[in-house]
Order: sequence, then C-alpha cells, then structure tokens
Amino acid sequence: MVDEAAQLRLWHRVSQFLVREARLLDEWRLHEWYDEMLTDDIRYCVPATDVRGENADALGLIDDDAARLRQRIEQLLSGEVWCENPRSRTNRMISNVEILADRGTHLDVAANVIVHRFGHGRSDAYVGKCRFELARDGGSFRIRSRVVVLDHETLYEHGKLSIIL
Amino acid sequence: MTIELQRPVADPIVIDDLERLSFRVDRRAYTDPDLATRELTRIFDRCWLYVGHESEVPGLGCYVTRDVGGRPVVMARGSDGVIRVFANSCTHRGALICGQPAGQARSFRCPYHDWTFSNQGDLVGVPLPDGYGPGFRKADFGLAQHRSDSYRGFVFVTFDPEQSRTLTEYLAGATEYLDLIDDQSEVGMEVIQGAQLHGARANWKLMMENSVDIYHFRALHKRYVGYMESLGSVAPKRRGGFGCALGLGHGANELPPAAARPLAYWTPMFGPEVRGRIEATAARFVDRFGAERAGRITGTNRAVLIFPNLMIIDAIAITIRKIDPIDAGQMAITSVALAPKDEDPDIRELRKSHYLTFLGPAGFATPDDVEIVESCQRGYLNRTVRYSDLSRGMNKEIPETTDELPAREFWRQWDRLMHGTEPQ
Repeated sequence: MVDEAAQLRLWHRVSQFLVREARLLDEWRLHEWYDEMLTDDIRYCVPATDVRGENADALGLIDDDAARLRQRIEQLLSGEVWCENPRSRTNRMISNVEILADRGTHLDVAANVIVHRFGHGRSDAYVGKCRFELARDGGSFRIRSRVVVLDHETLYEHGKLSIIL
Repeated sequence: MTIELQRPVADPIVIDDLERLSFRVDRRAYTDPDLATRELTRIFDRCWLYVGHESEVPGLGCYVTRDVGGRPVVMARGSDGVIRVFANSCTHRGALICGQPAGQARSFRCPYHDWTFSNQGDLVGVPLPDGYGPGFRKADFGLAQHRSDSYRGFVFVTFDPEQSRTLTEYLAGATEYLDLIDDQSEVGMEVIQGAQLHGARANWKLMMENSVDIYHFRALHKRYVGYMESLGSVAPKRRGGFGCALGLGHGANELPPAAARPLAYWTPMFGPEVRGRIEATAARFVDRFGAERAGRITGTNRAVLIFPNLMIIDAIAITIRKIDPIDAGQMAITSVALAPKDEDPDIRELRKSHYLTFLGPAGFATPDDVEIVESCQRGYLNRTVRYSDLSRGMNKEIPETTDELPAREFWRQWDRLMHGTEPQ
C-alpha cells in the first residue's frame, strides 16, 4: 500500500530543499550553500555538451570534488574572477522535481533547471537536467552528487560557464 | 590562383616598423565585416586547415562531421581504411548527407531523396533511376572529396585546388612541434571524448593572439596561479624559454613547466602514488630518445600556433583548440584533450582533472580569456583609439615567451594573404 501522503510530504521537502538551494546560489550565499547543503564528499559535474555524460571516461566541462568546488567558491566571492566581477545576476528556475528512487540513506532526484544570467552587457540562459543524490541528514538533506547535463548543443553563444549552475 | 597586388599602402592594417621596433594592428582588422568576409576567401579558402585527429575516426566507417573554414565537412575512415574529407552536401540538391556529429556507417544516406553514398564517397544508390536519361552516371555524382592529408595524426584539408604546397611544406617549422607532441606515445596519441564547444563574442584573431600570449598569464590568471600555488606548485616570475617563428605564419613558445606534466614530469602536486610510474616513463623516454630530446618532449611546455586557426597547447595537459570565425564579432572555439593512447588510468584521471582546472568554458582560466577578448572587442567600439600594439620583443634577437613574436608572425602572414603579397 503506497502512502501517498508520505510521498507527497517527501516530495515537498525535496522541492523546498532545491528551491532553497537555488535561492542561496542566486543570492551568492555560496559559503552557506557549501557548508549547509553539501556533503563533505560532494561531486559537482557538468558533462560536455556533445557526449552528455554518456561516457564516464569522457572529458567534461566541470568535474569538481569538494576541494576544487571550495576553491571555485572562494575565487567567485573574492572578486578575482574577472568575468564575475561585478557579479552577474542570476535567476534559477527549478522544476519537474521527481524522486526517482528512495534508497533509505539517500534519494535519487531529477529536476530541470534554467539559469538566467545577466552581466557585462549580456544575457544568457543555461538549460539543463539535474541529477541529485541527496543524503538524508536529520530532517533535511545534503547533496552528495550534483550533475547538470546541459541541453545546449554548444556554448558558442555563452562563451563560458563562470557561475555555479 | 592569380594574386592581384592591391596592398593599400596608404592605409595599411598591419604596420610593421622594423626601424622603430614598432608593430601595430589597426583595430578595423577585428571589427570590419568586409574584412571578415574577405578572410574567408583570402585565408580560409586557401590555407591548409585543421579538421581533426585520426584517433577520432578509429575504426572502419567511423566518421565525424564539423565545420572547417565555414564549410560543413565529413571526415570519414572508409571501409578501405583510408581517411577522407568530403563536402557534407548531397550532390543532388545539397542537403547535409550526414546530420550526426559522429558515428560509424557503411554509407551515408541523404534524407531528402535517399541518395546513398558509400563511406568512400561513391554514389551507390539513387531511387527511381528510370527518371534519368542515358547520360546520367552515378560516377559523376560522388561526394565532393577535398584534398586532405595528415601529419603525425593531425588531419588537414585545403579547399584551394591551386594550393601548391604539400601539407608538410605548408606546416614548415611547425612539424618539429607536432613531432614533439606525437612522440609522446609509442602507440599513438588519441583525442579524449568530450569536446568543449564554446565561443566568444569577439573576433577570432583575438583568441589566436591570446593563445600564444604568455605576457598576460600572471596578470589575467591570478586566480589560477593562486590555486596552483595552493597545490604546492611555484611558478617563477620569469619562466625562461623562448618564442620562435616557424614560417608561413606559424609560431611557438617553448618554456619550462610551471607545474607538472602528466606524461613524465612529476612534481609533488601530482601526489606520491604516481611518482614511480611517471619517473619510470621519463626514464623510458631517455632510453628511446636520449637525454636531450627526451627532456624536451617530457620536460618542456609548448604552445604552437598553426596558421590560421589551430592552437596546440602542451602543458599540464595537451589541448587542441580550433578557432573559427562566425562573423567579425563572434567566434566558435572547439577544444579537445589529446593524450597517449596507452596512458595509465590514474594518470589519465590526473590529466583530465588538471585540464579542467585550467581549460574550457568553466575552468579557472579560460573563462577569463573569453571575457577579456570580449572586453577588447567592446573596447574597439571606441574608434578614437585606432591601433593595438604587438611590439614586445622586437628589440631582442631571441624573444622571450612573454614577448609577442608568434602573434606578429600570425599577423604578417595574415597581411600577406589578405593583401596579395604571398606567393602561392
């Protein structure tokens, strides 16, 4: 017997968690995001737009462990990332949140994301599909794996990916 | 090809003043749409252009499609094992005969009317053939095959039927540098899957200049330098090394490594686990090539500019960067990583990781390069400042890597081709 109310509560908690994540990233509260929402063994990946993560041996665009992600954050916040100084304005739309599997200690979650970025006279949108592994952490979660598969064929228009998606 | 001598002496774009040791480029070269159009015919229709690496079509029937010099092409290894480059355009009515980025096929079928071509370019199938008269011969409608050749695994094409140079002649002194790269494996080098396809809203030549410019490294890439130093790597303020001209617009910088090299140059930032393996590789290179050449292959960084639009940067990883104009103010950049086919899996992971740290649209350095060339392009909107200066090192017999010799060589060839003083 499926407990629909329990499923709905879990889905709501996951959705709220992801919405909060989007807000912290949009508000450049990157330390809070890193400290409060990620596990110590976080992996953040953005595969290449041609092979799209189908080949594990392929080179991607981002493949950060905790240390490199921490470094990315420090650089972004310090102003030394020349293309993010002044900071771009971002607006993340997260939707289609779906719990693919509940594995007890963690959940596999899918979501779609559009990140609008404005800065340096440009406006860009990054459109992708997210796969999260959310570790249960008391009443909330921490992200252990965060893979954003971009749907763009190329980033010719964007040029770069200087924000955290 | 007949070359009309029409160099606009009164209003030159490139001002190469050897007496005053001054080299200036009129910024129209980056902004003028007429010049951008002219580059396609004067440069991209005439030079040998990089298409891809043989390892990208490893098996019989493997193919990749891409744009080269603004033209859609297919690079395919036929069932006979020969690599050919075809126009990706049906000889019937012109549709792309292959819409996939890569794959493996015995034949290409045009989706418009099902004309079918073998992977060697022959027209092998035409539906309803009774609609053609007796003069119709399939042999007349094979795929247009471009003149292509490869050097040490790097495949080039030329669209100029009158190109008088062989590929090797065209590459001139750059062959030495391709040798230094291809010699890094006894069984061959391979492109790692996963291309970084990005771009910049700037003229393509700005990224060519940027790719051979080491002067900007410590200024623009402070955050990368800081990160590497946090890993225990210490980049000296003066790196040494030299810049050199390789003929026909090609040039290179060669310098000691700032950090480490996954092939066979270990420093503590790679960690102790791989030290033995990397040092054993270094010893094997000494056996194969002797100490001097082995040291140059394994213990030296290099950035090679192959005119007009190929950069190969061999440092903490090897990147092949193909830079294509879209229009005067927009370029496409295709970057892939090259590595020894027989690389140890742990070292391959190190290579990929360090590649991503520096390179690509989300690395700790390339995004700043993209932003800065876009910034230059915006700066050119103020036409009051007419010239860019590329004079560094003209006062030296052997320019340093922080000088601008390779960029000047690029511009000199650009000027010769654009203004008709380059003999074919």
